[in-house]
Amino acid sequence: MRLDKALRTARAEGRTIAVPYLMVERRRASRLKATVLALREAGATALELGFPFSDPIADGPVLEAAANRALRGGTTWADLLEAARVTSEVLPTAVMTYANPVLRHGLEAAARTLGGAGISGLIVPDLSLEESAPWRRAARAGGLSLVLLAAPGGSDERVARLARSSRGFLYLVAYYGTTGHAAEGNRVDLAPLVNAAHRAAPSLPVLVGFGIRDRASAARALSTGADGVVVGTALEEMIQRDPRPASIERWFRRIAGTPRP
Amino acid sequence: MPERYGPYGGAFVPETLVPALAELERVWKEARRDPAFRRELSRLSTTLGGRPTPLYFASRLTRRAGGAEIWLKREDLVHGGAHKFNNALGQGLLAQRMGKPRLIAETGAGQHGVATAMIGAALGLRTEVYMGEVDIDRQKPNVDRMRLLGARVIPVKSGTRTLKDAINAALRDWIANVRTTHYLIGSAVGPHPFPSIVTDFQSVIGRELRRQAVRAFGRLPDLAVACVGGGSNALGTFHPLRKTSVELLGVEAGGPAGSTGAGSLSYGRPGILHGALSYVLQDADGQVSETESISAGLDYPGVGPEHAWFRDSGRVRYTAVHDQDALRAFHWLAVDEGILPALESSHALFAAVTEARRRPKEQHIVVTLSGRGDKDLGVVLGATR
Ligand SMILES: Cc1ncc(COP(=O)(O)O)c(C=O)c1O
Repeated sequence: MRLDKALRTARAEGRTIAVPYLMVERRRASRLKATVLALREAGATALELGFPFSDPIADGPVLEAAANRALRGGTTWADLLEAARVTSEVLPTAVMTYANPVLRHGLEAAARTLGGAGISGLIVPDLSLEESAPWRRAARAGGLSLVLLAAPGGSDERVARLARSSRGFLYLVAYYGTTGHAAEGNRVDLAPLVNAAHRAAPSLPVLVGFGIRDRASAARALSTGADGVVVGTALEEMIQRDPRPASIERWFRRIAGTPRP
Repeated sequence: MPERYGPYGGAFVPETLVPALAELERVWKEARRDPAFRRELSRLSTTLGGRPTPLYFASRLTRRAGGAEIWLKREDLVHGGAHKFNNALGQGLLAQRMGKPRLIAETGAGQHGVATAMIGAALGLRTEVYMGEVDIDRQKPNVDRMRLLGARVIPVKSGTRTLKDAINAALRDWIANVRTTHYLIGSAVGPHPFPSIVTDFQSVIGRELRRQAVRAFGRLPDLAVACVGGGSNALGTFHPLRKTSVELLGVEAGGPAGSTGAGSLSYGRPGILHGALSYVLQDADGQVSETESISAGLDYPGVGPEHAWFRDSGRVRYTAVHDQDALRAFHWLAVDEGILPALESSHALFAAVTEARRRPKEQHIVVTLSGRGDKDLGVVLGATR
């Protein structure tokens, strides 16, 4: 359970938990190790490795296009396992993908192979709490923490249930919408949700994701009492702009170094 | 109405949608028991929709087949030209009841988009319809109709640029705007409770059919046939007949000869697409396949979860009809009966004629003619040239 331990330690030490998200892409395999080393150097606590899916309904245009590109380039489950072996040597790694690719490989078998490749967490954005029981069992058997997502619009009671059932951390979606950025008026005050989660599961870190792109957005997320942030779309955009490890390191350091209030 | 059909169905959705789905289920269950809601649904079905639709004896088509009698359940005569109205009206009233001022929908053939645009206008709800660019090209008359009815048509440029990606786009919109928007999904697909709700509102087809068959030929038909895209006209037909002895046949799009077309039940395997576990055309990694069909309304790699269960349990038989055969049936109905069927419905017609040939004259086959073919003239003329 390397993911749990790394996050809990960072939290206990009062450090900001910073989790970058990288989409697995065959074309980028040769650069992967250098990128992840740069992210660790910049202060990343753990890594989310995205496996592309053909129908990513929780993703905005940037990550949707990245998934389409990765799939057109022939990226497969084997590439994910290979990437996992590389990244988990550097940072505790969780896989983020949609329900169908995991189901297609069989819940138990997928969890076991991912665990065998060094993965210690699984995040499935279209898996609801109501459907999650067999997934939690399979994840546990494979040595993975199944991370659940909470979102605006959920009652305190619902967020509490999610926090109690989540492992590794609770992923709190920052606004009404898909990954990328919030439309006008779609942000809500996350503090009550963070509070509800912390009350229900005092030792579980709460990470805010969606729309974290710089120090200001990270600071706003941390001001709710959250323990850290997940950075996806903005990192993908950064890599498209300038994929050099030194540039990525400089850029990510500003986000990861955002202090907790 | 169950959350599961055997192992199929469920709600695999981002957490943001969970409260909205729960609200929808609650409001729908209340509405079903509310006599005022049922009166309003029935009044508008009749006075705006033109229900009940007739059951028509296709005597010359029957003669062409030379076997069992072929009867048509005329959903092509519903307001807007397809069965889609039945569901759009019902869900439109639910949206009103929930106080949601905006409707979104996806559309493939454009029939569901037209139905939603009509209901949006009639109920005073703002309407936006997602439609793949490929479908915008091949179903042009319906794009014009939606716009004239006051709806905004949003082209979907990503992925396959057909129905599947129109649903993705609508789901993304719903995630962002769920507080003010009802997603009026157009088939018996999607997360619970959508498949149950859509089937409920479409079941008027099968209920009428039962009554009309008994009146017309003294008993229930031997076989009921319907085309299956997402599966709503078929479930509307089959659901009220599922506990009878009537044989049921669902017809998927087989695409060009030699391909798997859009036959999720014929060629797919269980998977999760658009929020439900059902049959999905997919590869070894669970990536959803691109489909191919002459008919935009059937061109979808998934299918409603109740069909998955009907398939496994054997209650319904499923078959796939290729593009060229659907076109043949289109022309047969045109010259034999003076009816231009939708290309979707033409798939069911071809399968019905094939069945009629093998059966004795004493048997009765009812085909649900899910829509009219005006929208398809471009495709049909293009294919014939
Ligand atoms: C005329 C017609 N028939 C059938 C369908 C397929 O949908 P379903 O399987 O939900 O009835 C469509 C969908 O667009 C349609 O327009």
